[in-house]
Amino acid sequence: MTTVPIGPIHPIFKEPLRIKLVLDGERPIDAEIEMGYVHRGIEKIMEGKHVHKGLYLAERVCGICSYVQSFTFIECVEKISKIEIPEKAKYLRILTCELERIHSHLLIIAMYCLSIEHETLGMWILNSRERIMDLLEMITGNRINTGYNILGGVRKDIDKEMITKIYNVLDKFEDEIKTIREAFETAPLVKLRSRDIGILKYFDIMKTRAVGPVARASGLENSDVRLRYKYYKELKTYKPVSRKEGDNFARNIVRFDEIEICIKMIREVLELYQEVGGPIREKCEIKGGEGENRFEAHRGELTYKMELTNHGFIKRIMIRTPTTMNLAAYRYMLKTCPTVADAVATYVSIDPCISCTEKTLYIVEDGKIKYIW
Amino acid sequence: MIKKFVRKRSIHLCVVNTGGCNGCDVEIVSCLAPRYDIEQYGIYVHNNPREADILVISGPTTLPWIDRVKELYEKVPEPKIVVAVGACALSGGIFKEGHVLGGIEKIIPVDVKIPGCPPRPSEIIEGILKSVHLLAEKEKRLKK
Repeated sequence: MTTVPIGPIHPIFKEPLRIKLVLDGERPIDAEIEMGYVHRGIEKIMEGKHVHKGLYLAERVCGICSYVQSFTFIECVEKISKIEIPEKAKYLRILTCELERIHSHLLIIAMYCLSIEHETLGMWILNSRERIMDLLEMITGNRINTGYNILGGVRKDIDKEMITKIYNVLDKFEDEIKTIREAFETAPLVKLRSRDIGILKYFDIMKTRAVGPVARASGLENSDVRLRYKYYKELKTYKPVSRKEGDNFARNIVRFDEIEICIKMIREVLELYQEVGGPIREKCEIKGGEGENRFEAHRGELTYKMELTNHGFIKRIMIRTPTTMNLAAYRYMLKTCPTVADAVATYVSIDPCISCTEKTLYIVEDGKIKYIW
Repeated sequence: MIKKFVRKRSIHLCVVNTGGCNGCDVEIVSCLAPRYDIEQYGIYVHNNPREADILVISGPTTLPWIDRVKELYEKVPEPKIVVAVGACALSGGIFKEGHVLGGIEKIIPVDVKIPGCPPRPSEIIEGILKSVHLLAEKEKRLKK
């Protein structure tokens, strides 16, 4: 038995993490995940700070899904204080959130293509991602860590020129994504490296509580919080996607499917936005209390639980991020990985986000602490 | 003479995330995209410290990284340049009160600083390109 350490610095990893693979010959049997490189104690920093400061910190829990983090945080505060945001702000929030979902999914598919050494397709995807980044910059003012949300609404409105530009860019982007998807589905290299590799079975989801695209690719269609979220119930174009294979290929195709639905949703939201009028932000008052809010981040279910004082100071906050569950599922996927290179590609395909995950977490098995994350 | 020319056109990067929020790293990945195309300047991202010329560091340096960053810095062959990307790498940024060291400058010398949270890809490329002439100067100093 040999162990191969991968990381914390590796050409494919965006983030530091060490995986120790236990090998039998060339076949990986088990993996031990060593974390702690990104632990900054972000929940502890937030304690005792005002909500307005906490909002900026929540955005920097993760850079890739920064808007979703601040969205869930601010909706949680609004839920506790019983604030209703204006209609316009609601649609602008959905619009930005879905644009960011497209950018996050494209980034991870590109990283997957780079990890299976299909560099051409990876660069192609990164190029069409820049179109979405332009839109995000136009709407919010920054590419990443936008600072767009504020208590009771959003900071900036969009005008008619911006709406026509969004429509134009989406039309071009839709054509591009069709060609890219066709290239991904038919490429023999992608087929060789991703079909029937890293399979997560339906019954393994029950053991690991996998969420998001990982669970949806294994046949669990209802693992989508947007189905039960108030804003998305009125949208007609929204429907969850799922596949049954559960391998690396299925996980990426689920992401492609979601991008297509996101484009349809953005078009519908823009139509709804043009019908309503009024302000984008309302005056409001923060009330103390406890509450929790769940939302579907790009990687799965995201939960914010918090307790506030009457003047809006954070007493205690708990963040539960999707990668915690998906990393547990990674050990079950290893059974169908024939080589170390496939194990690395499988790791990338679950869309890991370590800086989200690094809160202190104990995993107890048989009364003993097995892992401290 | 040839070496001076070659030094400008073949630079290898090693990107180290010392516990940031990924924002800077995503922007460094965007530099690889055909729109910005960092390879047209002869800059390649390899993430192998032993063949790197420039160490690009982002993040506020969490506690487990303190020893590792020193080790990494020693692994990079001379002449070498350290580029600190983002507000976190410069001063600890928004995480200054947390379990972080706050600023990479406390443990290793930094040559180029790129502020921003996160800096745009064009700014990162500009910062790296401006640091290239330092490599040749450092090599001269080494020979003396």
